[in-house]
Amino acid sequence: MNGGELAIARVRERLLAPADLDEAAIGRALGELAGGGADIADLYFETTSVRSWRLERGKVTNGSFGMRQGVGARAAHGGSVSFAHSADVREQPLLDIARAVRTLARHGDAVRHPQGVELTRRAGEHSLYLPAETVAVADAAAWIALLERIDQTAHAADPRIVRVDANVRAFDTSILVANAEGEIAADIRPMTILSMMVVAEQGGKRARGQAGIGKRTGLVAFDTASVDTMVKTAVQMALHNLDAVPAPVGEMPVVLGPGYPGVLFHEAVGHGLEGDHHRKHLSAFEGKVGERIAAPGVTVIDDGGLPGQLGSLGIDDEGSAPDRTVLVNDGVLTGLMQDRLNAGLMNQRSTGNGRRQSYADLPMPRMTNTFLANGTHDPADIIASIDRGIYATEFDGGQVDIVTGRFNFTTIEAWLVEKGKLVAPVQGATLIGVGHEALQHISMVGNDLGFDTGMATCGKQGQTINVSVGQPSLRIDRMTVGGQAS
Amino acid sequence: MSELLTHSEQELRDAAALAVDLAGRRGVGARASASNNGFAKIEVQAGEVETAERSGSQSLSITVFRDGKRGSASAATFDRAAIERVVEEAILIADHVQPDTDAGLAPTEWLALTGPQPEMFAEGQRDPETLMAAAFAIDQVAGAIAGASKGTLRVGQCAAVGSEGIWALATSDGFCRSSRTSNDGRWCVMLAQDDAGSTSDYCQSQERRPEDLLSAELIAQRAADRAGSALGARSIRSSRTPVLFDARTAASLAGELAGTLTGMAQYRKMSFLADPIGRAVCASHINLSEDPFEPLGLASGGFDSEGIAGSARSVVRSGVAEGLFLSAFTARKLGMAPTGNADGFYNLRLTSEADGGDWQAMLARLGTGLVVTGLHGGSTDPASGNWTRAVNGLWVEDGAVVHPVTDVTLAGSMPAMLKGIVAIGSDVERQGAIRTGPILIDEMQIGGSA
Repeated sequence: MNGGELAIARVRERLLAPADLDEAAIGRALGELAGGGADIADLYFETTSVRSWRLERGKVTNGSFGMRQGVGARAAHGGSVSFAHSADVREQPLLDIARAVRTLARHGDAVRHPQGVELTRRAGEHSLYLPAETVAVADAAAWIALLERIDQTAHAADPRIVRVDANVRAFDTSILVANAEGEIAADIRPMTILSMMVVAEQGGKRARGQAGIGKRTGLVAFDTASVDTMVKTAVQMALHNLDAVPAPVGEMPVVLGPGYPGVLFHEAVGHGLEGDHHRKHLSAFEGKVGERIAAPGVTVIDDGGLPGQLGSLGIDDEGSAPDRTVLVNDGVLTGLMQDRLNAGLMNQRSTGNGRRQSYADLPMPRMTNTFLANGTHDPADIIASIDRGIYATEFDGGQVDIVTGRFNFTTIEAWLVEKGKLVAPVQGATLIGVGHEALQHISMVGNDLGFDTGMATCGKQGQTINVSVGQPSLRIDRMTVGGQAS
Repeated sequence: MSELLTHSEQELRDAAALAVDLAGRRGVGARASASNNGFAKIEVQAGEVETAERSGSQSLSITVFRDGKRGSASAATFDRAAIERVVEEAILIADHVQPDTDAGLAPTEWLALTGPQPEMFAEGQRDPETLMAAAFAIDQVAGAIAGASKGTLRVGQCAAVGSEGIWALATSDGFCRSSRTSNDGRWCVMLAQDDAGSTSDYCQSQERRPEDLLSAELIAQRAADRAGSALGARSIRSSRTPVLFDARTAASLAGELAGTLTGMAQYRKMSFLADPIGRAVCASHINLSEDPFEPLGLASGGFDSEGIAGSARSVVRSGVAEGLFLSAFTARKLGMAPTGNADGFYNLRLTSEADGGDWQAMLARLGTGLVVTGLHGGSTDPASGNWTRAVNGLWVEDGAVVHPVTDVTLAGSMPAMLKGIVAIGSDVERQGAIRTGPILIDEMQIGGSA
């Protein structure tokens, strides 16, 4: 199990006890923080250790270990938020940042909790992911052997592979959040990310391939079969790109493969449905909730409770349990993703989407695992339906302008399709569209829903967090493809 | 001591030196750095404070070397117990990895044990009250501009931020120096709307001294002009045309040229310019120069995180690459001398020997083609140089702006784009480390839906 008193005990042992901080002291700091009549006052404690091993030219010659810890203090009066943080979590520095927040907030000294806040509303347990040892130095030899085998496997796969870089980054994070409502919740969040990049060379031409695996567990989950699949993916991507011809340009039908290409929905729909953008009247989707924005059969969901996905959270960073929010239901725009601040100001409830990069950053409405639900088409039939267009299976991230709804994402592995057949791999091309228009051109949804391999991240206002994206294969009848070939 | 910082330079030098000393007692060479940063930020929207933030951070990190093996560790505290733990963790790592003889400490003769440090810090008011007044001042001016726009313009966020930092570096060879920096920023986001929808743009000013910042009036007016000028934008037909990047977007091209000339990109074969030294990498009239010592430059520095000083130098001269951006490590890998660029490049200036002229002259040179004012997403393949972006801008015919453009893609190949630079305009702007004027490129592929 995870969460509940087990996770609170972990944070107490690792962070609070060494700083002589107990729950009563946290309650006193919350009382101070909530002074002046704050609508929201919370403290977020975090302790994180990170270990990495890096392979280049066949040898692991570099490793690092880092430790960070701290507490962030937030108070909100209406939509006005004051925030300060400290790496020192002893009681005096904690009271200092609580007072600094009060000073920033300029709402006076009215005392609401003279005796401090009693932390009586305690979060329950979850089993979405379990505490796991991720950063033990005892795993060094096994990780090093695994990285060396990646190098050997990749070089053995094809003589044109001239360079292999691989690294593992393992995180051991525990967080605790307590607020002036008397709620306290904690979570243990192990995470390990293995990634690799290869360069293939032939006749003076170079091409790259990349792949990775991210999981909320340690070394034990990185079995030979899944690592071999990762190596194969990276090598094949590089070899395809070595043969790539310039991508076509202009409007054409596009088929997106299953898994990471679901970043389309993260960009085209997800960001525009984050509550803060609606409260501030910034989203192109404002006022469109309830409207049809896609064909029947298009259902998009954000679900923070999917086992095995990196966007999943036992509790969000405000202590709320994750929801399953239907963003688009059978083509109709339905839901917003909320944190407590924006939910409170919009007279809604939190959907468990309050997330932050670290204790030193403010929480915001953020996505968890965002995906398009399965349709009924055979993926082979979708490709066969294309007269001339592209089939894209991997992307290099994406972006959206919330205000205009314009989004883009860039292929890193794609093919030219003619008469229903894959003709040749094509170089990277940027695909563009407008959120509330592009989805109307989705005409076929496959039955092969898949998710990314644990490498997806999302950036918003300078904060990067891990998410997951997914989708089955799908056909978009019309999209602008930005290749070099006219 | 500043009110944003919690430590002095002396305390940081002592912490870094202690880490190196503790490592030395364990028989390993070491390089340690300590840093302390403090910042305050006020963001306002619609006449109210949206967020008020005040924060500090600190970090101590060490890399140890023994028999060609290395290990790194870091912590967020400076107390002796934490430093001992960091040294211990770094040594444990060095015990596990394989040797790489290129990864040792920089030899003493390369170190900037003495020598000039450029001015990187300026005294200034960076307290929350001052920043709040500054952010409200921009919001007020922007509000007046929006009010006069008959509903076309709306003020987004206006913000003011101030930060100060100190950093110290010590090595086993007796290097122990520190530096102090300051940063001031102001920005304004404006939204413009018409029947077709909304658009937004911003103007940001960033300096090391508050007095050097653009005025509230200029920041708000530029943000308003940029947002307003994108109204009515539409797509254009797919075609090959000349492309003029305005100074803001041109800086990203200059940054990509510099990025591909870093030692790491070269040595990892992740550069679209393989073996560039002595070869023509740009049009023959193009120069790229670097200056680490510009007073109050946003990318100035007296030495890098290995203790090596940079130099004012030419990197590309008349289109030919003369140098790379190297650390001690990548210099050894490539068999070259280090350039003091372990942390990236210092202040850069991209210029042309050809006469570019002002903005109007550059539009005339463009003739008929696309002006790029915004780059969105996309990527440059570091290995092949394939360049693809979503862009917005202006469609120009016979040197005159016809209409704003959006919903188009732009594609090219970086090596060809660099060789295809026709001119660089004289309206130079600075974006962080990079100074360049507008860049005109002979031909690129536009993808559109008109």
